[in-house]
Amino acid sequence: MTAVLDRLLHPGGRRRSPADLFGQADRLRREGRYAEAASLVVSGLALDPNSVTGHLLAAYLHAAQRTIEPAKREFRWVLGRDPVHPRALLGLARLALEEGDLVGCRECLSSALRAYPDFPEARAVLDALSAASPESASPSAAPVRLERVRLPGAARALVVVDAHGQVLAERPEVEDAGPRLARIAGLAGAALQRAGFGPLRRAIIDDHEQTEFVRADGSLTLGLALPRATPFPQGLLEVNRLWGTVQHELAVTRDERPVPPLDAVRRVS
Amino acid sequence: MSRLKLALDLEGTSRGRQVRDIVEGLGRLHWVRGALVVSPDGFVIAAEVPAGLKVEPLAALAATLGRDLEVGASRLGHGAFQTAVFSADDGTVLLAASRIGFVVALAEPQANLEAVRSALGEAVTLIEAAWAPAEAASVS
Repeated sequence: MTAVLDRLLHPGGRRRSPADLFGQADRLRREGRYAEAASLVVSGLALDPNSVTGHLLAAYLHAAQRTIEPAKREFRWVLGRDPVHPRALLGLARLALEEGDLVGCRECLSSALRAYPDFPEARAVLDALSAASPESASPSAAPVRLERVRLPGAARALVVVDAHGQVLAERPEVEDAGPRLARIAGLAGAALQRAGFGPLRRAIIDDHEQTEFVRADGSLTLGLALPRATPFPQGLLEVNRLWGTVQHELAVTRDERPVPPLDAVRRVS
Repeated sequence: MSRLKLALDLEGTSRGRQVRDIVEGLGRLHWVRGALVVSPDGFVIAAEVPAGLKVEPLAALAATLGRDLEVGASRLGHGAFQTAVFSADDGTVLLAASRIGFVVALAEPQANLEAVRSALGEAVTLIEAAWAPAEAASVS
């Protein structure tokens, strides 16, 4: 009966094996043809539901189509079979980052690198995130708060973070705005360095609602959100003006900080 | 081979060719050192980069950055992320979001960034036009 059905379903002859289907799906995925790849993966997994390759491909395709929860499930399925599968760990790390889970992201990347130290993609992302994390700051160095920096008239939001991603100013206060700016600056800086261009200096980020103008110098990153229609020269002028104000305020705030009593100063010998 | 299957294969092949053409076209712009299209999971779909530049780590960073920008824009209620320009002293990385992933261009300091940005926008439009009808299936 099965053979008859098989002949009816595959009149051309040989039934395609799961390996054939996954191989073809991977080729299509590499061309960005996700929908076609997805239908082959579904067929392959119907024939071999426990295929690690099939589930990994499914995870990739979900991630490529920005469907996060199913992608996570598939990556976890793969890790259930192979707890140090480097590609599944990298995939899960990137999804964790998308959800703002920096700790989870680092754990996945570190696990992948412990098992496979020569894994350039995981190394690149981990290095980019380590550069701008508040944990990299000295615990004794409390961040300066720039209380007097005001939002310019036309601006919608302002964020200033230091080299460790600690927020120095934020108007208005929005959850994740500071860490997000630090992450973006870290990732963009790493991409620029990889391309051989040097550290991040400026950025202009457009979405449907607004344009964010960024200035950075390695010790400070400033992001200023302006309305979408703002001409670039005007936006750059605004961010430069604010950059000057922030530098001035930083100097003044540091000068105004109380000097610690002499017996509280540790001698380094 | 049925006529329908032949048509689907040709359509698919032309999309694969088109994305390579897009990357080559961006790479031919004045003062553009290279270009790539990266899937949102960090896979390199097509790339034209200078010899010696390791494309996989750059692609992983570009995709991670692109997704952070997409997710951030949507979380803050700003609609979809569109383009970003990141500049350093010796060059600029431009990044635009598309249906299949991120289009990235690497430009020299002398490049006309407005022209490159506009070319990136055109590349995204081409991708949208070519891919829109095919994106119906999904993995369940």
